[in-house]
Amino acid sequence: MRTTVLPTDVRSLVSGTSPRLLPLEPLDFSAHRALYGSTPRIDGARVIEMADRAGLTGQGGAGFPVHRKMAAVREAAERTGRRAVVVANGSEGEPASAKDKALLWHSPHLVLDGVELAATAVGASRAFVAVEAHSGLRWRLRTASEQRAGSRVPVTIVEVPPRFLSGQETALVSLLNGGPAKPRFQARPVFEDGVDGAPTLLHNVETLAHLALIARHGPAWYRSGATTTLFTVHRGDAAPAVVEASPGLSLERLAGPGVADAQAVLVGGYHGSWLPVASASGSPRATPADGRVGPATPVTAEGLGVPLGAGMIAVLPQDRCGIVETAAILRFLALESAGQCGPCLNGLPRIAAAFGALARPAPRADLVRVRESLSRWAGLVTGRGACRHPDGSARLALSALTTFAAEADAHAHGRCRAPGRPPMLPTGTAEQGA
Amino acid sequence: MDSAVMWYAGQATGIVSLVLFTLVMALGIGVRERTRIPGMPRLATVALHRSLSLLAVVFMTVHIVTAVADSYVNISPLAALVPFSSSYRPLWVGLGTVAVDLMLAVVATSLLRARLGRRAWRAVHWLAYASWPVAVLHGVKLGNGTGHLMSGWMLWLTAGCVGSVLAAILYRVTAARRRSTPDSVLTAAEAPTADWHAAPGRHRAVSGAPIGEGGRR
Repeated sequence: MRTTVLPTDVRSLVSGTSPRLLPLEPLDFSAHRALYGSTPRIDGARVIEMADRAGLTGQGGAGFPVHRKMAAVREAAERTGRRAVVVANGSEGEPASAKDKALLWHSPHLVLDGVELAATAVGASRAFVAVEAHSGLRWRLRTASEQRAGSRVPVTIVEVPPRFLSGQETALVSLLNGGPAKPRFQARPVFEDGVDGAPTLLHNVETLAHLALIARHGPAWYRSGATTTLFTVHRGDAAPAVVEASPGLSLERLAGPGVADAQAVLVGGYHGSWLPVASASGSPRATPADGRVGPATPVTAEGLGVPLGAGMIAVLPQDRCGIVETAAILRFLALESAGQCGPCLNGLPRIAAAFGALARPAPRADLVRVRESLSRWAGLVTGRGACRHPDGSARLALSALTTFAAEADAHAHGRCRAPGRPPMLPTGTAEQGA
Repeated sequence: MDSAVMWYAGQATGIVSLVLFTLVMALGIGVRERTRIPGMPRLATVALHRSLSLLAVVFMTVHIVTAVADSYVNISPLAALVPFSSSYRPLWVGLGTVAVDLMLAVVATSLLRARLGRRAWRAVHWLAYASWPVAVLHGVKLGNGTGHLMSGWMLWLTAGCVGSVLAAILYRVTAARRRSTPDSVLTAAEAPTADWHAAPGRHRAVSGAPIGEGGRR
């Protein structure tokens, strides 16, 4: 059954005629070729060289250099004599992120061009595109794939359960190998031992779309700054928007004029960090040095002082409570744990419960102890899982304790700035489940 | 050496082997279920399982050597390795040989585990579940010190060993149902009675497991 995808509003902040990731209307193959031109036929070594010269890094959150991953897979394939596999990861499990879904819906052919180029780069004989189940994307991608006669690699579309951890690299490989979509410890990395034990090149779909543009316009064009990136932007009660923008754009340009009056921004999604917004009376050009951001702060990892992750930005207005938002997210993250590793299984629910208690405004004398416990637990779970789920959850909890310290004090005196308001950020999938 | 000494040494080492292998079985299941022995770190379960199994192999070896060397009954060295080739009670001695052969496979693969890979090692390790009951049967028939069906305290000891291993297996089979999930841990932590920052220094989560531990890995 096909369900409608994308409740989100897709917009572009790209000026002029520069090539885009997201056309404003979804394109079929002939329209795609008319707009972008056909996929250049480049040999594998040259694809890797172009990715290197362009400085392309992974867009799924980790930001690993693409050419190094490709070279490692190619080398492993030559060494083991096994044909490599390419996996395009479009299974964004984070409920607050929509950029990969938007990209797959609007530009399936740009992603598939990237899949073909990546397959050429590593000499792959098979490719998979992983999409979120029940999103309509399987149908979309299958239709797109069928239009591409003479594709350089056979592509299979796979549905992934809409869970937070499903898109994690080892979880996805486990699913493709017939196992559960849960992260696992790997003695050998996925680039050597992935799908069916073959060397596997796994990239986020946006990374592959970038590769398709680099192949057409060249590494120099990509380096020139004319390139764009996808963000998912949440602003108060407004529907989330997927925004295509040049890197380095200011927070205000990306997220709208509301930023100046906002309380805080969440950068990098549910594994990201809350950053306080400098008050209007302070310097508008705040720097990460004082831990605050302002409307003019550039949206880059350097500008904000924290990693951008998969490009999710949420602007928290003054009439929302950051402690309540964080408590809801932490509860969601605890329930989304695969329950495999002790620190995650025993730590995250406890952090979530403590935060949940903080989120209920009531006079309490033990606020200092609660804060100390939360900090200690955050330290105890970090770096001790098969994946980075505990680390990201702890990072979010700690950044909220700092950013919303005053609000936590108010809660301990029985006051909340948004009493009774449900959280604005979505955490629905834990209950809807897979 | 006096044949009676050999005979009794053989019988005694057989009894000790039974007790040791029973402990090894129970500890092996404990390792699998990540059981913690009171007063010891969790990795002590693994270490104890490993050390006791090697100790048990030593007693098993003495048991075999004395049985072969002893002149009271005629068991050839070949019969110690090839099942059912003994001229003395071929079936019951042979069961012991089967248990030994299976155990040798388990021990050899464990020593070579780093080279074999986890999957092959694990598959062979399951043979322990076959080896132990076969060895017990061998003892039940031959283990009363006279080469006849056991009776008296020896029977009670064997019953105790069988009971322990059955209890351990039951514990393992039902473990999945008792295992905590993120859901159950969260429910416990959110209970109004949960005192989640009590007992300073002990860092115990509400589920009872310390925050840094538990889980399947």
